[in-house]
Amino acid sequence: MAAVATCGSVAASTGSAVATASKSNVTSFQRRGPRASVTNDSGPRLVSIAGTRPSVRNGQLLVSTGLPALDQLLGGGLAVGTVLLIEEDKYNIYSPLLFKYFLAEGIVNGHTLLVASAKEDPANILQELPAPLLDDKCKKEFDEDVYNHKTPESNIKMKIAWRYQLLPKMEIGPVSSSRFGHYYDASKRMPQELIEASNWHGFFLPEKISSTLKVEPCSLTPGYTKLLQFIQNIIYEEGFDGSNPQKKQRNILRIGIQNLGSPLWGDDICCAENGGNSHSLTKFLYVLRGLLRTSLSACIITMPTHLIQNKAIIARVTTLSDVVVGLESFIGSERETNPLYKDYHGLIHIRQIPRLNNLICDESDVKDLAFKLKRKLFTIEVDFIS
Amino acid sequence: MLDSLLALGGLVLLRDSVEWEGRSLLKALVKKSALCGEQVHILGCEVSEEEFREGFDSDINNRLVYHDFFRDPLNWSKTEEAFPGGPLGALRAMCKRTDPVPVTIALDSLSWLLLRLPCTTLCQVLHAVSHQDSCPGDSSSVGKVSVLGLLHEELHGPGPVGALSSLAQTEVTLGGTMGQASAHILCRRPRQRPTDQTQWFSILPDFSLDLQEGPSVESQPYSDPHIPPVSKNAKVDPTTHLTFNLHLSKKEREARDSLILPFQFSSEKQQALLRPRPGQATSHIFYEPDAYDDLDQEDPDDDLDI
Repeated sequence: MAAVATCGSVAASTGSAVATASKSNVTSFQRRGPRASVTNDSGPRLVSIAGTRPSVRNGQLLVSTGLPALDQLLGGGLAVGTVLLIEEDKYNIYSPLLFKYFLAEGIVNGHTLLVASAKEDPANILQELPAPLLDDKCKKEFDEDVYNHKTPESNIKMKIAWRYQLLPKMEIGPVSSSRFGHYYDASKRMPQELIEASNWHGFFLPEKISSTLKVEPCSLTPGYTKLLQFIQNIIYEEGFDGSNPQKKQRNILRIGIQNLGSPLWGDDICCAENGGNSHSLTKFLYVLRGLLRTSLSACIITMPTHLIQNKAIIARVTTLSDVVVGLESFIGSERETNPLYKDYHGLIHIRQIPRLNNLICDESDVKDLAFKLKRKLFTIEVDFIS
Repeated sequence: MLDSLLALGGLVLLRDSVEWEGRSLLKALVKKSALCGEQVHILGCEVSEEEFREGFDSDINNRLVYHDFFRDPLNWSKTEEAFPGGPLGALRAMCKRTDPVPVTIALDSLSWLLLRLPCTTLCQVLHAVSHQDSCPGDSSSVGKVSVLGLLHEELHGPGPVGALSSLAQTEVTLGGTMGQASAHILCRRPRQRPTDQTQWFSILPDFSLDLQEGPSVESQPYSDPHIPPVSKNAKVDPTTHLTFNLHLSKKEREARDSLILPFQFSSEKQQALLRPRPGQATSHIFYEPDAYDDLDQEDPDDDLDI
């Protein structure tokens, strides 16, 4: 992908810097000296971007989704230039949490944020981000949580089925020196100074669209058009696509779009099965993916797929996104009273993982995953029951 | 909980059906909020103004602000009284309030609006009206807004009803048995689990609400009324009706714990294998030759001349 090539994901800092275009030298090796004279150097920058790391499988540049457990399921993280689609649970309780973790991770790493919503003001969304857990306190709290949670039966070493003890545990405790993937405390708010120090752009649909426009069939709804223009402007002005030669450090743009496809965006796929604008959402995703692939950005979208009436649209939306994760909460279903599921709050389904520059995708071996929202942490565990 | 429906604000959906009508509950809630001193606006689209005001006392009637869209919905008579822009214009105008007084807007009915207006526009306007007070900065300046919408669920497909219920703060589904009306109230607070309750009630002739005990008043973890429930009180216990015994007595447990498993290489086992067996009787093989057995002791390979 173009984005990976330009940003030079392999950060090899050797003694002698390698310059690709040298005008008068015979060799291409140059002594690393003061490069003040070189203004528009054509050599690749060897500085890596904060909060990213190359994938160990295929060298793709990855960013963290804010949940280290989810990063592990996706093969290390979310690739830069891709879309993470979250299918909302029925009462929209857990998907905003994943959305906020993604944005909070951006703030902690110093990335630029773009938050788009038709329901809530983006400034309010940013006020409600969870606070990051600092290294020294979090390990103590995490151990305490684990201790309180352990039941007496689980302390007995397994004698007959002892091979199961060798299975890798999904849950990893906070690593003290992790700069990729942080843990967040959902009960506390992010400190105000961190939010103010970050660079963010908000898109609140009722403010941008004030008049009722006539929409011709087979075109994008005005809300989507405005959002795409906004995203394109930000990418161009701030140079995420390499258009403005950046003198300052390169950075990642994290885009978060909430409740895409709901009637508040002006899209009627949730209201009618064969509405007039049934291609609006799919066109939006197509154009969005084109914008993302040519810039250093990653996007999270939450979508109420349980409300979409036409199932064919859900299939198309899944194909047009890169990573698709579905959340199914147990609230209101008969599983809530089932004692087998009493430890968990819902199931998490990884519906699609992309194959980027690869023939196979990095699937994890376990497919039955359940999540629970503990007092402070959102954990994803292997569900041994089903 | 039925009497504190309007305390939360936001959009309240009253879903009724042919058997259990909801207009009387709507009027009872309107009366209650008028008596509390709130500003009450009615968008009357489905029934005439006289029919709606019937049964209310004169002081309540004086407090209601009635916008009549029943007599002339398309504004053909072009009089001054009609609200410009129709019901949607009326709702949009209510978005721009600045009073600190709490307001209740009753839509009679939301079904009428849903059948004539595009669902997305209606959802956007309802969201804008019901969420005016959600800005944390200036919450003191604008009073709480409650929008009561009467929705006849049999008129619409699952799409619009699902879209509206995802926007609603509270959803009241009317039902009942044997002449006793009940309201199943589902309350969705943002970022919290939805809670629900079933309340039996009846409406008195002067449109005041009479809460009753009814067959049962349950308050339980939420179960969707549209999914047929597994018997509510029985928890699924997987250990019943088994053909084998899952429980161990104390003696059995001790015996099990002291058992050495075959693949476990404990020290006793190691010693037993290393120690030469002292004076163990060698084993014998007893063989009775059969009639067909060839007992030739010679090796047949001796003939080979190698």
